[in-house]
Amino acid sequence: MLSSSQSLPCSSVRLQFSRSKSIAGKPLSSPNVVGFRRPLAISAACATASAETASSSFYDVLGISVGATSDEIKAAYRRRARSCHPDVAASGRERKSAAADEFMRVHAAYSTLSDPEKRADYDRRLSRRIRPPLAMNQFSGLSASPASSSSSFYRFPRRTWETDQC
Amino acid sequence: MAQIGLIDSPIPPISLMFTGFRQLRRTAVATMQPTRFWTVPAQIKHEIHNSLLVWDALESRMAEQAYTVASDSEIAEEKSSAFPDIAIGIDIGTSQCSVAVWNGSEVELLKNTRNQKIMQSYVSFKDDVPTGGVSSQLTHEHEILSGSAVFNMKRLIGRVDTDPVVHASKSLPFLVQTLDIGVRPFIAALVNNMWRSTTPEEVLAIFLVELRTMAEVQLKRPIQNVVLTIPVSFSRFQLTRIQRACAMAGLHVLRLMPEPTAVALLYAQQQQQIAHENMGSGSEKISLIFNMGAGYCDVAVSATAGGVSQIKALSGAPVGGEDILQNMMRHLLPEFDTHFASRGIDEIKSMASLRVATKNAIHMLSSQTSVAVDVDLGNGRRVSKLVDRAEFEEVNRTVFDKCESLVKQCLHDAKVDTGDLTDVILVGGCSLIPKVKDLVKGICKTEKLCEGMSPLEAAVCGAALEGAVASGISDPFGNLDLLTIQVTPLSIGIRANGNSFVPVILRNTTMPVRKDLIFTTVRDNQTEALIVVYEGEETSIEKNHLLGYFKITGIPPVPKGVPEINVCMDIDASNVLRVLAGVVLPGNQQPVGPIMEVRMPTVDDGHGWCAEALNRTYGSTLDLMTVQKKGHA
Repeated sequence: MLSSSQSLPCSSVRLQFSRSKSIAGKPLSSPNVVGFRRPLAISAACATASAETASSSFYDVLGISVGATSDEIKAAYRRRARSCHPDVAASGRERKSAAADEFMRVHAAYSTLSDPEKRADYDRRLSRRIRPPLAMNQFSGLSASPASSSSSFYRFPRRTWETDQC
Repeated sequence: MAQIGLIDSPIPPISLMFTGFRQLRRTAVATMQPTRFWTVPAQIKHEIHNSLLVWDALESRMAEQAYTVASDSEIAEEKSSAFPDIAIGIDIGTSQCSVAVWNGSEVELLKNTRNQKIMQSYVSFKDDVPTGGVSSQLTHEHEILSGSAVFNMKRLIGRVDTDPVVHASKSLPFLVQTLDIGVRPFIAALVNNMWRSTTPEEVLAIFLVELRTMAEVQLKRPIQNVVLTIPVSFSRFQLTRIQRACAMAGLHVLRLMPEPTAVALLYAQQQQQIAHENMGSGSEKISLIFNMGAGYCDVAVSATAGGVSQIKALSGAPVGGEDILQNMMRHLLPEFDTHFASRGIDEIKSMASLRVATKNAIHMLSSQTSVAVDVDLGNGRRVSKLVDRAEFEEVNRTVFDKCESLVKQCLHDAKVDTGDLTDVILVGGCSLIPKVKDLVKGICKTEKLCEGMSPLEAAVCGAALEGAVASGISDPFGNLDLLTIQVTPLSIGIRANGNSFVPVILRNTTMPVRKDLIFTTVRDNQTEALIVVYEGEETSIEKNHLLGYFKITGIPPVPKGVPEINVCMDIDASNVLRVLAGVVLPGNQQPVGPIMEVRMPTVDDGHGWCAEALNRTYGSTLDLMTVQKKGHA
């Protein structure tokens, strides 16, 4: 059985039918996603998700340098939110759902980078450029999942308010 | 049971409502876009009846005020072309309500014909056509309390008769009867010495029609879109009831905004104006917003900079001025419940006298340390008592304790230290109570509360701002360069692992959001599974709100624990929840059979019953369990 009940939020549109080990982000073929409300966006989301793991880092998503300060991270998050949040992005169903996906990516990047602990962990992995074996490890920062929020990450209630509290 | 209440059709009977309302045709037809939450039609017959009454009310209002739909008038055309369809903000409070709109340069509160910006929320059934607090000439509090008027609808809407809040409403002058079986309570107004039944949705709809008429007359254009403020603790089922009431009143809900987040948006705008020169990079301000009205107490922690208000956490509970009032009434008249049990005209009258006197006393205690209550209850009964502030605070200790715990919880959830707080904002009628001020100041370790916000107008102003922003209006001076990043006020999950609630999306998760969890079967060769979706914070499933359920079929007959059942939840930026579920066998990339996608909530009234029936009929045969979690979970 799976060792983790939580799968990747970012790519969950395609429903994690694969074992979480195979996170490569292969889009499911279209017949399987008939039930979704935006089949087009799914492949797009998957493509980005896999691209993210491969090339574009959280820093790229927020458009900041690797050495950015926490204030810069916050400012970048707000700036990106101002342009890609579905509330402000152009209307229209297609655009809105694309904006929602974009915003979720931005928020995932922010929630990792704004937490010093998660950021350090992420930076280590980024510098090594190797894929951790399991999705849980790879995305623990990104997912901010129910599992992780009740986990050791939050055991120390200090001034971590900027942590995404998901 | 296999019938899932996912009926997403524009129900035809609604069109019936328009028969005979020719004047309204354009506004009404245009606004009656099928909202997302039409559910099981069984309800509809009843509601058509109610709706017709709502439209009666509307028709009568129109006759009285010589109301014409603005699209026929040239002036209106001009105006509406300049500001096309700006959604108005409405704050329907438990006891008071108000309407505001972005007028092109700032937020303006609309006034009724009696020049009031804040109107009382009630509907009187005394006359043939129900009238509400917007237009009605009732000025004497006693008339509202005569039993012929229904109020506090915001406390009652979308609640079943096992709900403690409904039980607490049984001492109101109109009739609230409960049978404790998980259906909607029986609510009735006393008209000509008879009980005339109604529903909170109907009362709210009548009231909204009046508000809408008032706004249309003043703005000289048809009103379609609204942003309404709602309490944090409202369940998604309650939100559907609010939306239904709006649809009955011909209004389209653009956004339902938790009250403190509306205040946060207003705060963001104020900060934006103050720090205009360094826009977008102004220093971040952490604010705590405490909003307590007659029915609900809500708290939010928000991080604000550059016009972006990022909500960090929300907390809320149905506790407010109404509870304080009832506690005081029982304190002044210990035999309160026995005295009013019979509910004759005389009893209702004396209850009204006591209520008015107690309310006044509470208001007085905000500015003085003691007050003398002297009220004649008729039949030789008289309450005469000197009440001091300490006594008042002691009587309402549980209320104030609850407020304290909400503030603490919100700060904890937001992971904010009191030292980080830039501003503490208190709004709502109860924010005038000294004890409330003190307790918030005490927890936040601050001496000074944020000034410059009207306690009774902040929420509606925020809603009007959101209305303008969400309508796509821009302002040359950047006053509308605003954004609220919202969070989910309650956790959403499914029933699994026996009778437990397993959250998929935790509360205070930033929206839009998409999360999923993997479950598996509990029996060998289990081919079906029931996905029962709940909302709430309790681990025991019964204490949470049922949102809906659907069945997954066609699971291949394999040993238990083998199939992976992926349950994905998706909330978009307009707070629409979708639950998706699919089955996959290990080693396969492809799901077995089609994926189910269900928009929630699907339940209708009587859902308390429904959950019980499900349990009785299926027991654990269609159960799920979570796939083993890692050690730290």
